[in-house]
Amino acid sequence: MNRASSVLILVLLAGLGIGATYLAHYTSAPRIAAEQRLIDSRNLLDLLPAQSYDNQPLEQPLAVTNIPLANSTLLGGYLATKAGQPSVVLLRSQTLGYEGKIELMIAIDANGKLLGVKTLKQSETPGLGGKIADWPNAWLQAFTGKSRNEPGDTGWALKKDQGQFDQVAGATITSRAVISAIHDALRYFDEHREPLIGSGAHD
Amino acid sequence: MTKSLPLQNSLMLAPLIGATTSWSAALGLWLMFIVVISAYGVGMCALRSRLVPPACLLASILLAATLTSCVQMAAQAWSLQWHQPVALYAGLIALQCVVLEYNGFFQSPRLDRVRLCAAFGALMLGLGLLRELLGNGGLHLATLVPGGFILLGLLIAAHQAWARSTPSH
Repeated sequence: MNRASSVLILVLLAGLGIGATYLAHYTSAPRIAAEQRLIDSRNLLDLLPAQSYDNQPLEQPLAVTNIPLANSTLLGGYLATKAGQPSVVLLRSQTLGYEGKIELMIAIDANGKLLGVKTLKQSETPGLGGKIADWPNAWLQAFTGKSRNEPGDTGWALKKDQGQFDQVAGATITSRAVISAIHDALRYFDEHREPLIGSGAHD
Repeated sequence: MTKSLPLQNSLMLAPLIGATTSWSAALGLWLMFIVVISAYGVGMCALRSRLVPPACLLASILLAATLTSCVQMAAQAWSLQWHQPVALYAGLIALQCVVLEYNGFFQSPRLDRVRLCAAFGALMLGLGLLRELLGNGGLHLATLVPGGFILLGLLIAAHQAWARSTPSH
């Protein structure tokens, strides 16, 4: 138990420690990265019914980047297909809420009907506007099945603004922003159906 | 023998509140804790007699850090989704090892050590189960940090009331 042997043991221990940690990192890194990708894609895609697609939508991006719309910006888009036929278009939309930017994933089926909306990022007031981040989300589900013309332009608003949708309690500005962004996305899809999914899927 | 119980106990409080939002997270963290503590105990047992006291502390830090990192990476590779909510608290296990070493935990009788680990596990799992059940039952507060503190307080109060009503214990 002298100083020199202690130092030697410490140096050995440090070397072993570094080696073991490096080895653990080296062997586990690819698996961890693969699992991270899986979790990410599940987070982005869990608004789609599982039977509505059979491809990897995130690996099929659409030529939609930073397109300014009336009340929102389209950041990107993905195409989900089933048996080779386009089935769903996913649009990432960004709009301005009460506190800051809100990012939404909006899924529209080949007939222009809304399949689902999910909040990806938001910084609204917790407990009020922040409720749009809850998942599953009853308020966002109310939009499912709607399309650009159903209801008409005046219907795409809060009841408070003579439209036909309820708002999130205590969060008028957040609700307005989300409704406008969804309507924007549906309108964009309607006007760009051809380049987005081709003409084949139109009923 | 126990020089700094408050430090040791307050270090356990962080995972006890933070990693018990669901029982699976609580179980996972407790398993990681047991694996690291056991491996660390075995390692230090072999090293302690061969080192001068100042080197002992350094060795203990090195060993604790290595074991914790390796176990963390193994847990990530095994199931990342399950590891993510406890990742922050898993890092604290290394610190806990060093504090336990300093407190003389590894020189205490085996039964005491097992009892402490079992008590920690029972409390983690119990709190995790309780919070998950209450959270699913509609009491959202239970899943938040303040709710965790309140529940822990209630559990301690219940334990004290029970201990007082059975003084022979």
